[in-house]
Amino acid sequence: MTTTATLAPVSLELRTGPRHWWAGFRSMITWHLVSLRLWLVLLAVVQVLSGVGFVLGFGLFFEQIPLSVTLFVSTGVPVVNLVMTGMVLGPQLVADQKASHSFDFIHSLPVPHTASAAAWYVVCLIGGLPAVAVSLAVAVWRYDGLPLAVTPDVAPALLLTAFTGTMVGLAVAHAITSPMVTRLVTQVLVFAMFAFTPILFPVEQMPAWLGAVNSALPLRHMADMVRASLTDLPFENLATSYAVVGAWGLVCAVLAVRALGRRR
Amino acid sequence: MPTDTAMAFHAEGVTKVYADGLRANDALDLRIAPGEVFGLLGPNGAGKSTLVKQIIGLLKPTEGTLRIGEHDLVAHPEIARQLCSYLPQAQMPIDSFKAAEAIELTGRIRGGDRATVRARTDALLEALDITQWRDELGMKLSGGVKRLVGFAMATVLPGRLVILDEPTNDVDPLRRRLLWEQVRRLGDEGCAVMLVTHNVLEAEKSVDRLAVIMDGKIVAEGTPSALKAVDRGQLRLQVMLSPGVETPESPEWVRHPVRVGNNLVATIDEDAASAGIDWAVGLMGQGTAEEYALGATTLEDVYIRLTGHAFANGEDEA
Repeated sequence: MTTTATLAPVSLELRTGPRHWWAGFRSMITWHLVSLRLWLVLLAVVQVLSGVGFVLGFGLFFEQIPLSVTLFVSTGVPVVNLVMTGMVLGPQLVADQKASHSFDFIHSLPVPHTASAAAWYVVCLIGGLPAVAVSLAVAVWRYDGLPLAVTPDVAPALLLTAFTGTMVGLAVAHAITSPMVTRLVTQVLVFAMFAFTPILFPVEQMPAWLGAVNSALPLRHMADMVRASLTDLPFENLATSYAVVGAWGLVCAVLAVRALGRRR
Repeated sequence: MPTDTAMAFHAEGVTKVYADGLRANDALDLRIAPGEVFGLLGPNGAGKSTLVKQIIGLLKPTEGTLRIGEHDLVAHPEIARQLCSYLPQAQMPIDSFKAAEAIELTGRIRGGDRATVRARTDALLEALDITQWRDELGMKLSGGVKRLVGFAMATVLPGRLVILDEPTNDVDPLRRRLLWEQVRRLGDEGCAVMLVTHNVLEAEKSVDRLAVIMDGKIVAEGTPSALKAVDRGQLRLQVMLSPGVETPESPEWVRHPVRVGNNLVATIDEDAASAGIDWAVGLMGQGTAEEYALGATTLEDVYIRLTGHAFANGEDEA
């Protein structure tokens, strides 16, 4: 038996600064993508099917679906696609890592927490954007005359929506120490997202108090941002929506990074 | 052996009290010099994992300092993650990774350049005799091979302190030997190696020094020979009891009897050897025992004396 291992290259110098951050960011994107390799195709398929399912499924509720409803659903589904990976799948993956004790190794890797969070954001974008495109394409194909009007605002709207969804998920994943509680919270988030947030239906159809609650939460504003960027409908207070979603994203990013670095 | 003592690992007065009041570590003092392979032994719940998690920045000591050279690991956990490499007791999360890919990517994350990391990965795969699985997905690897891949991930670009928690779990005897060669080599290259293990017999052969930790405190520290010296003049009496029998009453001169399964292990003075044999033969005559063995004491006997616990391979620490 040969033992020809080259001499162990012991790390001597501490790495700091933007190059260290960038190297960690790139490496962690690769790490996350390879970690999801076995599931990435399945994840993409589920994302596409859920998006397409909403677009087509809502048509079954109506004998003749009003164009306003098709527009609302078609422009709400991208929000679901964008936040599902970061807000639901992400925390569940972290919960699994904690339950299997593999989280300790990942946490021991010398990567800045901000670089790790940013890398996960990129992975969530990769997991969500294709489904957004397919869902919109299917909506255009299914509903004649759908008045979609993609504006330049689509880029900031989609990027900010995915960012805030991802950061909310990271905050949930790392601020809650119990894997079981994390899983339960994500289940509640999914339920609340579909049933009690005006993503796929207008806020006017909700009780006034629930609408007011949603005004302080990010999902309604994400839907307004994305809808405004995909149509030429007039939207009031769009700046407020960007501000609310941006504030949620920033606060959750800070919470997530602090929770990642928190030592019990 | 390198003598860069400026980069030695120091733990001074490390105390960890959890929120529920449990004192997991109680004023621990340790020093591991570069080039030294140091064993940390102790029963479940002794506080070994708590100490390790404080070193790598998962837990914060209630009191005390942890340093590598001048670097304060408690104040700067981000530095701790660069200076320490860690193989956890749990299997690595590499189901979706090819073996070589997992090792190389870890090396890249640890700051290695592509060529160095690739060469080191190839060398480790060969040295551990797992090259044949280099392109196999982690989910298809046996537990032992996966463990070796984890070892390679932890040591592809090792830090100044390499922490190995039960590195040989599930590994076959031949490759265990190869792994220990690589551990030794890490020491030769100037790494301080902390080996956390339940396998006292392997530790005895592999470590330069060791500490036994019990109820959060270090109850013994020294070289394996120095710790065994206390038992000089004593012998190890091992009696294989018949299945299902009650543990027999031991004479006064039989010290620290511990039963593990059907094995009753104790120490006796050398001048009590004849009486020990007579006692064991008597147990066989009564049908209480099936066989016995008398030999030199081992580090395991020291451990049993210090902790009142017996080892069993694969034991987990809470």
